Amino acid sequence: MILSALILIPLVGALLISLWPTSLSTTYVRRGALVTLAVNLVVTVYLITQFDIANPGFQFVERLDWIEALGLSYALGVDGVALPLVAINSLLCFVSVYISAAVKRPRLYYSMLLLIASAVAGAFLAQNLLLFFLFYELELIPLYLLIAIWGGARRGYAATKFLIYTAFSGILILGAFLGLALLSDTGSFDYNPALAQGLTMFQQTLLMGCLLIGFGIKIPLVPFHTWLPDAHVEASTPLSVLLAGVLLKLGTYGILRFCVGLFPAAWLDISGLLAWWAVVSVLYGSLAAIAQTDMKKMVAYSSVGHMGYILLAASAATPLSILGTVMQMVSHGLISALMFLLVGVVYKKTGTRDLTILRGLLAPERGLPFIGSLMVLGAMASAGIPGMVGFISEFIVFRGSFESHAPQTLLCMVGSGLTAVYFLLMINRVFFGRLTAADDGVGGSIEITLPKVSWRDRGPAIALVLTIFAFGLQPEWMTRWIESTTTAFVPQAIRAATLVSQPAQTTKLAFKNVPKDIPEIAPEIIPKTALEITPS
Amino acid sequence: MTTTPSIPQLQPVPVYSPAEYVERLLSGGTLLPNTDENLKEVVGVLKAYGVVLDAYAINLQYIANHQFLNLVPILKYFDGKVTPQKVAKHIWHDRINYEYAEYVMRTMMWHGGGGLDAYLDSDDFWACCSPAIQAKSRLNPILFVFNKIFPEYLPEQVRQLAYYSGLGQFWRVMSDIFIDLADCYEQKKIESVDQVVEFIKAGLVADATKPITYSVTISGTSYDIIPASVGLTFLPDTAVPYVESIFFRGTPFFGTVSYNAQAHQIPIDQAHFGYGALFADPLPIGGAGIPPTLLMQDMRHYVPDYLERLYDNSVRGQDDVRVQLSQSFQKSMFCVTEAAVRGLMPYPSDTEDPKERVLNRDYLSGWLKRLAESRLNVVQRA
Repeated sequence: MILSALILIPLVGALLISLWPTSLSTTYVRRGALVTLAVNLVVTVYLITQFDIANPGFQFVERLDWIEALGLSYALGVDGVALPLVAINSLLCFVSVYISAAVKRPRLYYSMLLLIASAVAGAFLAQNLLLFFLFYELELIPLYLLIAIWGGARRGYAATKFLIYTAFSGILILGAFLGLALLSDTGSFDYNPALAQGLTMFQQTLLMGCLLIGFGIKIPLVPFHTWLPDAHVEASTPLSVLLAGVLLKLGTYGILRFCVGLFPAAWLDISGLLAWWAVVSVLYGSLAAIAQTDMKKMVAYSSVGHMGYILLAASAATPLSILGTVMQMVSHGLISALMFLLVGVVYKKTGTRDLTILRGLLAPERGLPFIGSLMVLGAMASAGIPGMVGFISEFIVFRGSFESHAPQTLLCMVGSGLTAVYFLLMINRVFFGRLTAADDGVGGSIEITLPKVSWRDRGPAIALVLTIFAFGLQPEWMTRWIESTTTAFVPQAIRAATLVSQPAQTTKLAFKNVPKDIPEIAPEIIPKTALEITPS
Repeated sequence: MTTTPSIPQLQPVPVYSPAEYVERLLSGGTLLPNTDENLKEVVGVLKAYGVVLDAYAINLQYIANHQFLNLVPILKYFDGKVTPQKVAKHIWHDRINYEYAEYVMRTMMWHGGGGLDAYLDSDDFWACCSPAIQAKSRLNPILFVFNKIFPEYLPEQVRQLAYYSGLGQFWRVMSDIFIDLADCYEQKKIESVDQVVEFIKAGLVADATKPITYSVTISGTSYDIIPASVGLTFLPDTAVPYVESIFFRGTPFFGTVSYNAQAHQIPIDQAHFGYGALFADPLPIGGAGIPPTLLMQDMRHYVPDYLERLYDNSVRGQDDVRVQLSQSFQKSMFCVTEAAVRGLMPYPSDTEDPKERVLNRDYLSGWLKRLAESRLNVVQRA
């Protein structure tokens, strides 16, 4: 029941807030949402403590037949891939409610945030394809409303664009799921890695391609990314934190769970191409970020770049690189949430995010020196400076992908260098120099006094920075929950893949001392590292 | 997060020509607009400044008199009273930053000007300081050897010590004036900015001819370094050079301007320097570098209640108190400058003689031209 609790607690909270019979002040609504998510966070921590790190499979499994005729069942489970994402969802939803202050129509606003928390947790935990799809679509509604109602000046445009893109993504995913059920002739949508085994390579590739594009829109991968910068720019800070920190991870989680998990053979068949796609995404995102003059757009494009690493690691599909995908999801979740939080504070205090206007915000007494210092740390983490979680995840991604996709990995590493370029450009423009004095129109300038920064503004960012350092200095605190699942994730996948393409060789793969003829037989689909780690 | 950012109301800086300021001064107005807030800021900050100046003045004179030619004066900031508590406080750094007083002393010495500078370059000075150096060298073989190898070195140290003493004597007077001013304000005897200027002017004029002298005692014998016979006096020989080198010229805030001549970032002629207190940007306070930060840090502890309340009600409250102190300090320095300028005016400002009026106007125009690039316009804003 603990997994259902993670879905139900925010859902009940949302219902209570929106249906409470008497009128509620904003403070009470916010407190209610905060308490709900605090309870949710405590339950998540309890789940983490009860999680068996040695077990690579699904744990705390719950199953309830729902509409049997449709093959829809309420099946939940958590493994080492879903657990960190569930945790980061609980954490960042709490943070985003914490940083939300006075808003118009608070009951709708906070119940929408709670609904997102519930739907995203449901999507990460679902063990039924249709159930996943339901949660995946359910999360769109509150997100659309949050952008469309509480967004910036062009919120209508951004929200509609977001809706069109992600609705299309949903159609592709649903189509692929239906196709899989139809072609595999099982009639059930329950998650099962062997579901696609009987399909031909063409069928697998087709279904996997639909899923890939569907999730590629969500991640987003270039060229399906254009909704993201618009959505970020118009979204309020709490929403941007959620969007970058959690919601994009639905896409990468989907790729890992459904593309790699269900169609490993088809996946590995085109893995080289996928790695090139990752390169395009990383380099395009990074170069586009350099050209931005809006801080939020810059961070949004940096997300596009950094999510590309996940595709790279997933395409390599070695145990280490799969570990890298999950690590990168968590690390990007923490770092991008931090960056959006800080950009939000800058915007709140200065009224602009324009890089051509902002100057000298590190000014010790009149500027935002503390926020600026945290921003420097955030940029360092994002650029992969050792000591912070960004380094660990990027290192694992590159180390895990290098042997199978050397040129692609090297090019993606250039993207890591470009991260330093655009974030240092931003820091140099926004935080260094003399604090902006506005033009007074008659040749002089007007001194600007920025409003006070309270500890409430700084608190969440400090917590995120500490987490980033903690996992950077002691990555084992994170990898121990993930590793057994990700290590088992790949051998199963490869075995499944080889069953389809090279059935005669499957038994040999389990040997630790690989026979010399193996690379000749299946050089592309058997990364060396996987073989070394495969338990016999 | 979704609250509207509270951007404060922006006001453009008013622009006045030097002629308008001259007109204002001749018609009895003040450089700093006469408002209640300005009055509170000026008097309040001068009170804090007075307290700090008192400590600076005592220490500068202590160094001049008791650390004479001590080449490693590690205890120079202790005024001769070394206790574990004082050492701890010194290391903890929550103390009066005497480094600022020394910075001012060095800046004065570097820019020179006035009778003190001229005297220190004269043969008379050499004649006066030689016996003292020799007396000190007799007790200290290192000094003796030093003096033999580098005969110009110790006299240069003595010149610096003379500036320690001169600045100490100048600040002694100014500290008393500022504290008296604050007392008068608290007793409601001063109620406008022009009364502040008048009070400071009266103080300067009253002490104008106060002699500036300097002597040290070595082994029970007193040696005159600046004897009274040289005729150095308070106003022309310390006050005017001080205003010139600290209020007007100053030195660029360290780290913001290159001293490399090829970079052409500083004027070639030292007289054209415009980095003094009246020109300084108060914002970098709190950054690296000695000059403004330390003074504001020192004054912060002695801000009177009425000024504290004023700062508390500002946008950033106590967060940017050093910048606010710096801004108030700049306002007060315009009042002190005005007092000095009025004190040196060739004829009374209310003279009826047309010739005298013209000469007064020319005199004021000269000063105001020098202030054209200063922050005078900025402090006009209400």
